[in-house]
Amino acid sequence: MSTPELFVSRKRRCLLFLLLTVAVALFFILDILSGSVLIPLRELLTALWSPESASSEVRSIVFDFRLPKAITALVTGIALSVSGLQMQTVFRNPLAGPYVLGISAGASLAVAIFALGFSSLLTTGLSLTGSWSLAMVAWGGSFAVMLLILFVSARVNDNMTILILGILFSGAAGAIVTILQYFSNESMLKAFIVWTMGSLGSITTRQLAVVVPAVAAGIFLAFLKMKELNALLLGETYARSLGVNILGSRLVILFSASLLAGTITAFCGPIGFIGIAVPHLARVIFKTQNHRILLPATLLLGADAMLVSDIIAQLPGFSTTLPINSVTALLGIPVVIWMIVKNKKFTAL
Amino acid sequence: MISSCDTCGIRVNNLKIGYATTAPEPAFTREGITFSASGGEMIALIGRNGIGKSTLLHTMAGFLKSLGGEILWNGMTAEKLTPRERSRMISFVSTERIHLTHMQVADLVAYGRFPYTNWFGRMQASDEQAVAEALEKTGLTKYARRQADQLSDGERQRAMIARAVAQDTPFILLDEPTAFLDVNGKYEIFHLLHQLARQSGKTILLSTHDLHIALREMDKFWLLTDNGAFEGAPEDAVMQGWLGLLFNNPLIGFYKPTGDFLFHKNSSGNAWVEGDGETAYWTRRALARRGFTISSKEDAAIHILIIGPEEGGNTLWQLTSGGNTRTFASIYDLMKEI
Repeated sequence: MSTPELFVSRKRRCLLFLLLTVAVALFFILDILSGSVLIPLRELLTALWSPESASSEVRSIVFDFRLPKAITALVTGIALSVSGLQMQTVFRNPLAGPYVLGISAGASLAVAIFALGFSSLLTTGLSLTGSWSLAMVAWGGSFAVMLLILFVSARVNDNMTILILGILFSGAAGAIVTILQYFSNESMLKAFIVWTMGSLGSITTRQLAVVVPAVAAGIFLAFLKMKELNALLLGETYARSLGVNILGSRLVILFSASLLAGTITAFCGPIGFIGIAVPHLARVIFKTQNHRILLPATLLLGADAMLVSDIIAQLPGFSTTLPINSVTALLGIPVVIWMIVKNKKFTAL
Repeated sequence: MISSCDTCGIRVNNLKIGYATTAPEPAFTREGITFSASGGEMIALIGRNGIGKSTLLHTMAGFLKSLGGEILWNGMTAEKLTPRERSRMISFVSTERIHLTHMQVADLVAYGRFPYTNWFGRMQASDEQAVAEALEKTGLTKYARRQADQLSDGERQRAMIARAVAQDTPFILLDEPTAFLDVNGKYEIFHLLHQLARQSGKTILLSTHDLHIALREMDKFWLLTDNGAFEGAPEDAVMQGWLGLLFNNPLIGFYKPTGDFLFHKNSSGNAWVEGDGETAYWTRRALARRGFTISSKEDAAIHILIIGPEEGGNTLWQLTSGGNTRTFASIYDLMKEI
């Protein structure tokens, strides 16, 4: 057996946090810079510093499109990663994430019923992403699933049961979505497929005014239950013997995780693998299970990962971008595979 | 260091335990459980699988609601304790094996300080001190920076006990703490618990199937059998014949003279072993294993005469049965012919 890996010293930890923070700022600027229209860095900084002095064209590109999109990427990365960390800890399962609990499936089902089921009533050619009504429907869907999870978890004292119910629900929702797809018209089908690819770019500044506070509330709750998250790592028996109110803690944590994942899924579509991969990366880099370190680390790493994904999505440049869901999958899956190969056992957190 | 104050220790009065289910009747119940223990004692909770040992421990630890009766911890009613108060009164070591990567032994032990830290979980100097002491008492100081998932089963169990020690509670409950361990591991855990009870004055209640060690190490037995309950010294349990009632199975008996469990078998007849010392003892054991009743009469169906040890150190077994006499060089060879 190799020599035991020693802990990351306090000094090195501070350095890592500093590095990740600087990286977020850097990637944020890079994300705003990348896109079909080339904006020189100097001009961008001028526009950000004093919007009045910039040309109206640059101002429009930066403030109406690029800045909201970069903020969306930042918030999305933070929300999905923290949500994934919470679920992995509560369910003590390395594969837990927004997808597994059926939250994404709930949103998809609601959107599918809305878009495909009533497609005959709607005008054709509707774009699904970024529309208010659609976001509300998706939010409703993910929250319905969340309420179901909370209802079940208040009665069932077994995490594995909740996890299996989530997986089964996802399967059932997928089946219904397939049926709806089969019977829907072509244009709505395409609009739905595009929604499932995820998008960071269609969110408006007014929608951000809803998304950002919702995510902030979710993050606040996550930090509030940091100590309980640590206890839950040992399992419910030990957590309880340490004086943790299991039911209350689990309700708050799952509410927070659902708020984070549900909000993002509602406005940006289901975005995969960030929620699973980033918390693992944080554990490997900081070599700890302590949520006092893991939570901020996951938050920063998530922001970095999503900004990088968005930058990559725009690499083809010019008029088209890659579907963000494909980028996160192609970035996230190797991380998960690498972890499986390196750890040999993926059954433990 | 068994304390003499009146309320110190554990009182379980007429307790009813069970799993409350959604069905009208609970799936499992057991009532009328009355046990007690003084502060600083080591108590073994013993009974067959399924008799309710775990349920009782979980009810006492506050994980399950009691369905009636009361539990007093140092004179305080269990149900009136808040979760935080309870976590400073009772620590618990479960049968569950914890597998976590990226966690050092010291971090695992530091979980014991959970009831004492603020919402942020920040460790004060006194908490660090308690962790260091717990590591010291359990002999894990040099393992402090080791990864918890690289420990052996025995070391991990030791770390979980260290965590309970760091929790600084007067009572430690352990659910089958030696179940996964080899003989050496079992011995070390019992030895450690013994030290904790004697040197730190902790009251330790554990469930176990390791009767041999429990008979030698524990101050008190709490026995749950299908024919009633017993509490008292392990030796009282033996002398009053309670251990024979443990399994409610007529084919399993407890043999008082040696403290062994005997498994009754269809009798193969009588055997007479002539000889003495260790060799004769183990020869009789081998025959008993085959269902022979050991007799000292000459009318036995088979007669074994132990010859030796000879000058070369060899021992021979001379078997006489049905008029034939043969000699064997080992018990194995002897048993093959019987």
